[in-house]
Amino acid sequence: MSSVTYADVNADMLRTLVRPKPAYYLLLVGFVIAFGIGALSWAIQIDVGLGLSGISHPVGWGVYITNFVFWIGIGHAGTLISAVFFLTRAPWRAPVYRAAEAMTVFAVMTAGLFPLIHVGRVWLAYWLIPYPNQRMLWVNFKSPLLWDVFAVSTYLTISVTFFVVGLVPDLAAMRDNAKGIRKLIYWQLALGWNNSYQQWLHYARGYLLLAALATPLVFSVHSIVSWDFAMSLIPGWHTTIFAPYFVAGAIFSGLAMVLTICIPLRTVFGLEKYITHHVMQSLAKVILFTSIIVGYAYTTEFFIAYYSGVPYERGLFYFRPFGEIGDGSPFFHKGDFGVPNFAFWIMVFCNVISPLPLWRFKIRNNVIALFIISVLINVGMWFERFNIVVSSLQRDFNPANWGSYHPTIVEFGITLGSFGMFFTLFTAFIRAMPSMAIAEVKEGLEPPRRNPAAHH
Amino acid sequence: MTDNGFRRRDFFKVLAAGGAATAVAACADPPEKLIPYLVPPSNIEFTPGVPVEYATTCAECPAACGMVIKTREARAIKAEGNPDHPVNRGTLCIRGQSSLQTLYNPARIASAMRRQAEAWQAVTWADAEAAFLAALQGVMERKRIALITDSAMGSRGEFLDKWLAGLGASPKVVLDTLGQNAIKAAGQMVFSRAEIPQYRIDQAQLLVNFGSDFLETWLSPVRQNREFAAMHAVDDKAARKGKFVHIGPHVSLTGANADEWLNIAPGSEAEVALGLAREVFEANRRKIPGVEAGELERVLQPFGIERAAGHSGIDAERLKALAKAIASAEPSLVLAGGTPAATGNAAGLQVAVNLLNYVAGNLGKTVVFGANQRIDPSSPHADVLALINRMRNGEIDLLIVDGANPLYALPPAAGMAEALGKVKTVVSLSSAWDETTHAAHLVLPGLTFLERWGDAFPQTGVYGLMQPVMAPVFPVKAAEDTLLSVAATLGMAGLKETPTYQDYLKAAWAKVQSQTGQRGDFAAFWRTALQNGGVFQQVTFSGSVRLNLRGLEVPAAPPAFEGEGLVLLPTASLRHRDGRGANKPWLQEIPDPISQVVWGSWADINPETAKRLGIRHGERIKVSSPYGEVETAAYLHYGVHPDVIAIPMGQGHSRSGRHADDVGVNVMTLLPAHTDAAGGDLALLATRVAVKGTGQQAQLVQTDGSPRQMDRGIIQSMTLAQVAKGEPPAAAHGGEHGEGAARRNFFYPQREQTPGYYDPYRWGMTVDSDRCTGCSACVAACYAENNVPVVGRERVALGREMSWIRVERFLEGAGDSYRTLVQPMFCQHCENAGCEPVCPVYATYHNPEGLNAQIYNRCVGTRYCSNNCAYKVRRFNWFEYLHDAPLHLQLNPDVTVRSKGVMEKCTMCVQRITRAKDKARSEGRIVHDGEITPACVQTCPTSALTFGNLRDPGSEVSRKAQREEGAHRVRQYEVLADLQNRPAVTYLRKVTLEDGHKEA
Repeated sequence: MSSVTYADVNADMLRTLVRPKPAYYLLLVGFVIAFGIGALSWAIQIDVGLGLSGISHPVGWGVYITNFVFWIGIGHAGTLISAVFFLTRAPWRAPVYRAAEAMTVFAVMTAGLFPLIHVGRVWLAYWLIPYPNQRMLWVNFKSPLLWDVFAVSTYLTISVTFFVVGLVPDLAAMRDNAKGIRKLIYWQLALGWNNSYQQWLHYARGYLLLAALATPLVFSVHSIVSWDFAMSLIPGWHTTIFAPYFVAGAIFSGLAMVLTICIPLRTVFGLEKYITHHVMQSLAKVILFTSIIVGYAYTTEFFIAYYSGVPYERGLFYFRPFGEIGDGSPFFHKGDFGVPNFAFWIMVFCNVISPLPLWRFKIRNNVIALFIISVLINVGMWFERFNIVVSSLQRDFNPANWGSYHPTIVEFGITLGSFGMFFTLFTAFIRAMPSMAIAEVKEGLEPPRRNPAAHH
Repeated sequence: MTDNGFRRRDFFKVLAAGGAATAVAACADPPEKLIPYLVPPSNIEFTPGVPVEYATTCAECPAACGMVIKTREARAIKAEGNPDHPVNRGTLCIRGQSSLQTLYNPARIASAMRRQAEAWQAVTWADAEAAFLAALQGVMERKRIALITDSAMGSRGEFLDKWLAGLGASPKVVLDTLGQNAIKAAGQMVFSRAEIPQYRIDQAQLLVNFGSDFLETWLSPVRQNREFAAMHAVDDKAARKGKFVHIGPHVSLTGANADEWLNIAPGSEAEVALGLAREVFEANRRKIPGVEAGELERVLQPFGIERAAGHSGIDAERLKALAKAIASAEPSLVLAGGTPAATGNAAGLQVAVNLLNYVAGNLGKTVVFGANQRIDPSSPHADVLALINRMRNGEIDLLIVDGANPLYALPPAAGMAEALGKVKTVVSLSSAWDETTHAAHLVLPGLTFLERWGDAFPQTGVYGLMQPVMAPVFPVKAAEDTLLSVAATLGMAGLKETPTYQDYLKAAWAKVQSQTGQRGDFAAFWRTALQNGGVFQQVTFSGSVRLNLRGLEVPAAPPAFEGEGLVLLPTASLRHRDGRGANKPWLQEIPDPISQVVWGSWADINPETAKRLGIRHGERIKVSSPYGEVETAAYLHYGVHPDVIAIPMGQGHSRSGRHADDVGVNVMTLLPAHTDAAGGDLALLATRVAVKGTGQQAQLVQTDGSPRQMDRGIIQSMTLAQVAKGEPPAAAHGGEHGEGAARRNFFYPQREQTPGYYDPYRWGMTVDSDRCTGCSACVAACYAENNVPVVGRERVALGREMSWIRVERFLEGAGDSYRTLVQPMFCQHCENAGCEPVCPVYATYHNPEGLNAQIYNRCVGTRYCSNNCAYKVRRFNWFEYLHDAPLHLQLNPDVTVRSKGVMEKCTMCVQRITRAKDKARSEGRIVHDGEITPACVQTCPTSALTFGNLRDPGSEVSRKAQREEGAHRVRQYEVLADLQNRPAVTYLRKVTLEDGHKEA
């Protein structure tokens, strides 16, 4: 980055904020339409009933909970990059952390909707909040779902705080360049930042403290989300491995999403100078590492199912990859294959096999390959959650209850809407805020000198 | 406010007038004075919130069980058995439980109707009656008037005869495609007694059944369920149980309860019975008087085991062993009937069975003549065909249809449709729309049996009364009263003085009073009879009959079947019988216990045959006979002979209401209209059909998740030898992980040691799997009691049925030696429940009495409780489920109607618990054992279910459950006990005679 100057940074960053090309609007309109489809689907579902989804008996949770866990997982990368990598002094985080943080905030916002979408009586969902009331009703602190309420709301609060605090110096820069109504907004958001030494001193300490505060959340939130499953007694859910497995999976999917977003961003806005191969290589290495953890977790699940000797576990873990066990009779076929079985193999391919090329430097250095792998991982991680949520419920203890699950158009609509919402917010964000941390990127550059040539 | 043209005062005026009008309409005088069950007449007017019960008699099938109808605020809300009635002793079957949906059927006809071309027009009752009268008077030759009915129960048959005779019309025709004339005919041939004997199943040590579905529809299913359990369920103390051998080409619910199944070729029953009779005769010859022995020798001479083996395809050694068992059993009982026996030689089979029972020495022991099971008599099928013939020849000008639905029930080959078109005027007196009523010209809708007077005499000494339990749902008149009104106008001798059918009945019952030897005031007798539901006497029967074989030729040769392909066996449906119950949503939605199919038809095909024909399970198949073709779903079933395809009766309606129409297929359309000449019934097993796969998937909705229980010990069984030794099976899941083990390993303090819990009650249940036959009456009772909504086929296909209790069915083994296990499953009210801790809002919690309470108001619908329930007995309201008018009138006001988005499940009928506790509290005591019976327990014909207080060591449920620490448990286990949910429901293992545990 030695060739990049402070002025370049300012210019490049501001370029993302000036009047964009029509393609940008086209994209935005597309995302808004997708979001609208989701909102409409949800409205209809509230009116008619949850029966419009494919969720049924015994599969009481389906695509909605899958989406919830998926988006929460996506939301992990931001805090990981901004807080954990900040604390571990990984300098390559600087150009991507702003985008990652924005992604986190929007993903958690999206995720937070899904518990509401999936409950039967959303108009009463506020009952999950312990607030004093004259009916003397209280919430059940034993329920993992309640822990979820706290985990997710805390995470959202901290992520937003962290995000906003990180933005302050840049917002001040924007304020100084903006005109009209924009100036007013930036002026408000910049909280009177004046770039003084004093401010920087406090800011740095405050940021460090926030990073320290946010770090445990990276691990706790997804652990708690995993306990939604692990605290139950359903085979395939009831397992101690879930917390680390979910955290690793969340980081895995979150970093993949960072790549999925940053690669187009860097190409479209010409940010190759900042989001360098080194940055992407580093991300790819962490992705590879977490992929191995996730693969190990998959294997362990199978081993434990076998080793425990519990027939329910064994039955489920036979079913997941291979379908029905069958009994030789003509009506209970061996190997009958359904949606969850496909989900399993998609998961294995995308999460365990497809990242393997990342061992090679050449692949890690190839933007297109990285992009493809990152998209595959996103798909794979969605199916991982689908596989966990659905197949376990399909084949639980009493075979008389076994059932199947087929998502409906409403669920597709709402899922599409969640992507619409996420990308709408993100696209709008790129226009409204600097998507790279100007100040921090500058930190990584050589400071400007009066006569650079004289130095050499 | 005045600008909009509607003032406040106007509003009040309208409100007052409207309200008054509504109130007046609701207060219309009930047509009859109703006498409540065991409640003094001064209390006739109900107190809001307090149920009033009326005793009556069930007319859903000819068995005529006694009923008590619970009414609330003058609406019938629940049907239960009359505990005093000797036939059913307080219990009911699935169809009896659903009789409320006969009453509140959406297809009921609300007013008199007249057909103008193809359109129906409502007309006033007076106009309709005038039209009926004119039609009657318009027929000069009165013989050209005919009446076809579906019920001649009790005094009704005689009444109709009298009415028709008074008119000079043709004799009535009573239509039942599942008639029992062959038994009577054979009784006449063999014993000179044309009656249905009483079969005392409970007295038998060995029960041999040729095809009858005696646990489903045949004769008196509720009674037979009870007696079967008495005979077949294990006696824990003596470690004894009877054996049940099922012989026939098809296994339905009844056959699934058998210890042994002989899968004989269709139609070979008589051969087998005679072969067995010959063998038993040889063995028992010494015991048979000389003259009879000579006769028997002559009659049985041509038959033998080898011949039977040849015809049936069963190994001769096996038949010999069976014959030996029959001869040595003290006593045995051989039954024959049902649709597999309804061949062109049905009477021949009954004769054979009579002989077999005779040589086995069962007469007077398990087969008792004189008791006379007076199953509602149906006309010989030849009479039905004769009527059709007359109609077709234009010899009938006026046909009165009274409840019968011949257009649906008869094979089209009988030509009813064409014949009906030739009749000038068809008048229907049916209470609900059906195919035949739609073809009528004039409808004077009748009332259902719960709104009218009637009686039934199901056996000697049992006189059941039927009384209106509520004011009619629609302002129409009972068919009997319509006929009487006509009789009065016509000045019909003998009937014109009788203003109503109630008066007619009273006159008839004056005779009953003298027959039963009750003296005194008739009014008092009548009132007592109404309160009790009838007069029930203990009658002892002389029971001695003489064998009369002079000139008897036993027509044993297997009947011929027309056409090519598989033999078509229509089976009587547990839920719809012959099609009468098809428009009752409960009966459509409650799965057939063996196939687990809802809302549709299926065809049972042997897997071997299916393989040969290249047909998959669930494939849409074309079944065609020389008479018709249907398309239905293939159901691969071990319990069917490879040469047979079995399709249940009762579906495939076209104009019987929206719950019945276009659901499944009508198997009758494939049949010829053949009659068993000797017996008189319609031959149902008469044709072969060609079966062809279409390659397409059929709409087959099954509620079972898996046909196999994968060795998970959901329904456990053990052998009789193990029961005798008092040893639970070692490998069983409950053994090492059972209640005792769970208690030892349990980390947290028990609830019973926690203050505030289980004092003085902890409600619990036991389910005796050895007694449960799978009859599914409990499921219907639960639907009725707890306002469980019906959701329809598409939603059941997604697993969204709402039943709180289900009958689970698993198969074990394969081929002819396969076994079926059934058992009810409902909320286990676990002490350490999976559902409770995961609810974020405490909508489900453990109440102090051990109930797993569900608070609908608090539920936000996360469905986590359902996910975490190992038994998956919770049901979610995916939509706002509506109860079609007037079905909503049946809703139990004691139970919340749940709304969209909440979870629901079994409450062990908490409303009944609360009511009993209230009563006990006001009397300053605690609830007695047996004071509370949840709806499922109440109706169970085999007493497989027990409810009570587990904290009371003397309660029946405690004695059965054996839950205290260190108790000696033999048959007891908790389902999935290894999960340590500690359910409050204890199951008792099914007991097999041999070690038949085969898991394929």
